[in-house]
Amino acid sequence: MHSRVMRCLLACTLIAGCASAAPPVPAERAVELAPGVYMFSGTGGAADEHNLGRIGNGGFIVGEHGVIVVDPGASHAHGQARLAAIREVTAQPVRVVLVTHARPDFLFGGAAFRERGIPVRMHSRTARLMASRCETCLKTLRQTVGDAAMRGTVMYQADQEFDTNHALDLIGRPVRILSFGHSSGPGDSAVFDERSGVLFAGGLLDARRVPDIQDSDLEGWIKALSELRALRPRVIVPGHGVASSITLTSIVARYLEQLQAHVRALLLSGTSLLHIAEAGELPEYESWDQYDIIHRRNAAVAFLRYERELIFK
Amino acid sequence: MSHAIPNRRRALQSLAALALSPGTVQAAVGGLPSATHDASSPEWERLSRQLFAGRALIAGQGRVQLIVPLRAPYGASVPVKVISKLPQRGDLYVRKLMLVVDKNPSPVALTLDLSTEVGQADFETRLRVDEYSHVRVVSELSNGELHTDSRYVKTSGGCSAPPNRDALHLIGKTLLKSVGDVRMDQPTRADLTVIHPNDTGFELNQVTVMYIPPYFVRTIKVTYAQRKVFDAELDFSVSENPTLGFNFVPHERGELRAEVIDSKDDRFVGSLAIS
Repeated sequence: MHSRVMRCLLACTLIAGCASAAPPVPAERAVELAPGVYMFSGTGGAADEHNLGRIGNGGFIVGEHGVIVVDPGASHAHGQARLAAIREVTAQPVRVVLVTHARPDFLFGGAAFRERGIPVRMHSRTARLMASRCETCLKTLRQTVGDAAMRGTVMYQADQEFDTNHALDLIGRPVRILSFGHSSGPGDSAVFDERSGVLFAGGLLDARRVPDIQDSDLEGWIKALSELRALRPRVIVPGHGVASSITLTSIVARYLEQLQAHVRALLLSGTSLLHIAEAGELPEYESWDQYDIIHRRNAAVAFLRYERELIFK
Repeated sequence: MSHAIPNRRRALQSLAALALSPGTVQAAVGGLPSATHDASSPEWERLSRQLFAGRALIAGQGRVQLIVPLRAPYGASVPVKVISKLPQRGDLYVRKLMLVVDKNPSPVALTLDLSTEVGQADFETRLRVDEYSHVRVVSELSNGELHTDSRYVKTSGGCSAPPNRDALHLIGKTLLKSVGDVRMDQPTRADLTVIHPNDTGFELNQVTVMYIPPYFVRTIKVTYAQRKVFDAELDFSVSENPTLGFNFVPHERGELRAEVIDSKDDRFVGSLAIS
């Protein structure tokens, strides 16, 4: 009897949930990597109606006087879920949320923080890239994952912008914001927790996933990776994929270098853009997430860049 | 013949009218749209009615074939190849070719008006394809027949990459090169590139966050030894630094010449001596 009532209640709740079209907010789980440093794990893959676009990682750092959040997630609901997960761990106030780079899976949760008065902070060039294209990104993401998952998600502007590396003295533990000029993207930034040696690498590093070069300056990116290596981070939270060791910086640099060398050679030997995706295969990386999509596109993007270099000479 | 492929400007006027009619776009909820290569689309239904009212469009790759990379091409520059399955000579040849991207704000990307001097009416270019969309070719033969082929292209990216704004001083530089051996009286392959941003007018400047005004190549006239090879009308649905791969038939030594006019009415010339 009791269980039937429960089942009925559950069913009613579900139906009501559907009817009122307020989807239940899937929980977000925070994993503690070091004392006071937590990671949110995205699903990886490409955004779709199952993962609701929550493919990218994030995290937060808890100090004596507050919390710094790294990347608010992909949607208003995702931002809410991340806030709820933070509340499970600490009652300290969230002082700021840093957006590492202008990608939809990393920034559209910002609205959930802003409506609670929590400022969103990003590099000025990230803010401009976001302003110049993310209306379209939002439309595409909405179309991809469905309206329900994106309810309440809106374009917004950064509350705080910065241009250079700096310390964030907000929570009673030293946290550094690192930016590298034009690297994986214009303004792409990383967050380094000095006490634990945990590095949140944002767009600069992906683990076992093909890094996307669309927004990049490859030379600047490879240089940034060697600067990250020099930091000697103990743990790296990549933009996508599992928490990794410092070796990840070399692995990603190696991919970028191989991509450049391979595509440049293909261009010089007369390969056409029509055939670059097939000719540009790098089988060493075919087990990486999004190899089929991002690597193919990377080959085309790199091809067009080198071709431009040649015709502009 | 009065049943010619209408010119771009007329096509654009009819499209402006279309933009006002309701129900043009069907938004999918939860998942991107999909379609078969040979399917129509609401946009194509309207456009083809406007352009080819009452005329039969023959599909099936008997006379024209379209080749487009199908998996994850880069939307800012999707390579497209048109192959004509008849020689460009005698009393039957390809008179016009039109490339269409159904979902683009300006779907008619390129119209080519051909002479028999192309020898073989095969063309390559690169198009902007911002949304999942059919790309189509329509080939009008000298006997008035219309042939068509299409591919459904799923570009990837979602977020457009920041446009390049370097080397403004090179805008208009027109490069011509021959590819492979030059053989007299045989179709010879050549590649044309115009350095030009070909701005759509729909993109925001990343620094000022203001719209970059439309600024694109409108026409390219290609001649060899002062004889028309083809005339092209195009717009911003063709990618940045517009490229055209084409054939021409040299009958004697001469100059391959391209005259380019852009939307600011600036004129540029490229030439290549063939011997």
